Amino acid sequence: MAMAALRREGRRFAAPLISPQPIRSSLIAEEQAPLGVRSISTQVVRNRMKSVKNIQKITKAMKMVAASKLRAIQTRAENSRGLWQPFTALLGDAPSVDVKKNVIVTISSDKGLCGGINSTSVKISKAMHKLTAGPEKETKYVILGEKAKAQLIRDSKKDIELSITELQKNPLNYTQVSVLADDILKNVEYDALRIIFNKFHSVVSFLPTMSTVLSPEVVEREAESGGKLGDLDSYEIEGGETKGEILQNLAEFQFSCVLFNAVLENACSEQGARMSAMDSSSRNAGEMLDRLTLTYNRTRQASITTELIEIISGASALEG
Amino acid sequence: MASNAAVPFWRAAGMTYITYSNICANLVRNCLKEPYKTEALTREKVHFAVSKWVDSKPQKSSMIRIFLDLGFLRCAIRSDTEEE
Repeated sequence: MAMAALRREGRRFAAPLISPQPIRSSLIAEEQAPLGVRSISTQVVRNRMKSVKNIQKITKAMKMVAASKLRAIQTRAENSRGLWQPFTALLGDAPSVDVKKNVIVTISSDKGLCGGINSTSVKISKAMHKLTAGPEKETKYVILGEKAKAQLIRDSKKDIELSITELQKNPLNYTQVSVLADDILKNVEYDALRIIFNKFHSVVSFLPTMSTVLSPEVVEREAESGGKLGDLDSYEIEGGETKGEILQNLAEFQFSCVLFNAVLENACSEQGARMSAMDSSSRNAGEMLDRLTLTYNRTRQASITTELIEIISGASALEG
Repeated sequence: MASNAAVPFWRAAGMTYITYSNICANLVRNCLKEPYKTEALTREKVHFAVSKWVDSKPQKSSMIRIFLDLGFLRCAIRSDTEEE
């Protein structure tokens, strides 16, 4: 019982010591120690140090895992860029096209601890929503990933059309994304699809990007106004298909390819962001550990000094 | 052909170009020889959970697509060729 009381006393007085007041802490130790307390307990600081060290190990391990996953997926993402580049060369990318029905496809991750990439995607989606809003215009969301869903549910609930999760359970492949694209095309009416994702430029830089895919009717309409799409008529069509049919096939395939590339790039960005988030987390844990070690040593030395003082004053009281 | 535009049979059956190309890719993958075949078939696994939102609420009956290969789609294409 006495020991428990002693420990409790020690804890109460050790707590103010942990606050970062380097000069005052040793004075506090000697002033506030009441009679009967042997030494100030360093248990609290030691527990904290142990947990911070564990956290540092875990975040370091997560960084390594993210680095290896990034390596695996990065080559695939870079190779998939070749899928949509011919489409952009043929049909152009027209972000400023003015249409009645916009569908914003927001790509985010399912898991957290990846820095700010999901928040930037959601921010851009909301900005896009505001930009494309207007009389007689309708903008809907299709959400890939849990994190964007959680953020968009809060204020745009009525505009959500579809939400898709558990995309990365198996390694990403084209078949999966194309089935997903098919689902989206079948369930959502659109004039223009705007896909928002984080493009992977390097391990430290992921920029939010938007790709636009137009429906075949809109392509026809834009073709009349000239520009890149107007040159479509100069192409010769082989086989028994009409231009309208080819445009429809192309639009569907373009969406599937662009979505595939977007999903891969977002996955890369997610791993890269997780790497840097875990890296800064381990560094912060290291700094915290340094500060805690200093406090621990100071507390320890203060308690030793107190004991010595007691012993010496006791001994001198006996002599004198 | 009865219709004005010569619509290909798969378009008339309600398939999109994406489904059509996936079926063709599946057929090509099944033509590969053994070590490459299993490797290629791992690239056909599809899994995601989709839920449609109605009136600001996700529908409980979410369609979870877990088909591991597109074998089921082959029956659709076979019945069309028989009609022609």
